[in-house]
Amino acid sequence: MASFEYRQAQEIRDVFAHHQVRYLFIGKSGLILLGFPDTTQDADLFVEKSEANGAAIVHGLRELGFALTDDEAAEIIRGKDFVQLKNGPFDLDLIFAPDGIEHFEDAWKKRVVVEQFPVCHPDDIIASKAAANRVKDRESLPRLLEFRTYWHSKNIGKQES
Amino acid sequence: MCDLASYDSGNLMSDTMQSSPIEISAQSLAEFEAAARRPLAVRMRYAFIKTYKPILDDVTYRSFNTMKEYRKWCNDNLPGWLGYNSPEPDSDG
Repeated sequence: MASFEYRQAQEIRDVFAHHQVRYLFIGKSGLILLGFPDTTQDADLFVEKSEANGAAIVHGLRELGFALTDDEAAEIIRGKDFVQLKNGPFDLDLIFAPDGIEHFEDAWKKRVVVEQFPVCHPDDIIASKAAANRVKDRESLPRLLEFRTYWHSKNIGKQES
Repeated sequence: MCDLASYDSGNLMSDTMQSSPIEISAQSLAEFEAAARRPLAVRMRYAFIKTYKPILDDVTYRSFNTMKEYRKWCNDNLPGWLGYNSPEPDSDG
């Protein structure tokens, strides 16, 4: 499996827009879109948990080349809290209920748009990482908080619309 | 600068939610400024890397009904050095 590439992020953006998927880049991948200089392995998407959105996600994923079985597609449509996909052209985590964020709609209203990529607000991403409290989150939080200050001062990734 | 050794997760969370800015170290500021000068495509080229993660990468699909289940699975199955471990959801700590 090769690394996730800019071209593939564009494909997600374009295919999901076509299928009207409601999603936000979240986690380290979202922060990288916002300008945070760090490394990560895969893309994380915060997706709205609804049957209609789940069906749209399945259509989009299959168009992107993910080999979903019917059972896996049904799980995504029903909306698990967390789905890890390694059966496509790149690794993708679908997060329906990220730690530290109550409702998708709240995060959607605060989203930041970078080159038409919808991204969770950095405050939400960092709050989610703090709530998850994994070892790797604890290690990265001090630098993330510095970036949060920097981002607010520069307003990088200012919402386009 | 925010010193990890002086923070527990509660303090980090508090800082996260506060509006008062954290002081940025000179090194971090230089890194943020350098990143801001690069186009997004370039930033992504250097940000996404792929290395094999034992157990985590050994199946093509995995799902969890709740994040609590996912966290427990990580704690029970993944080696600590991967960094996915977290306090048990039901622990008092």
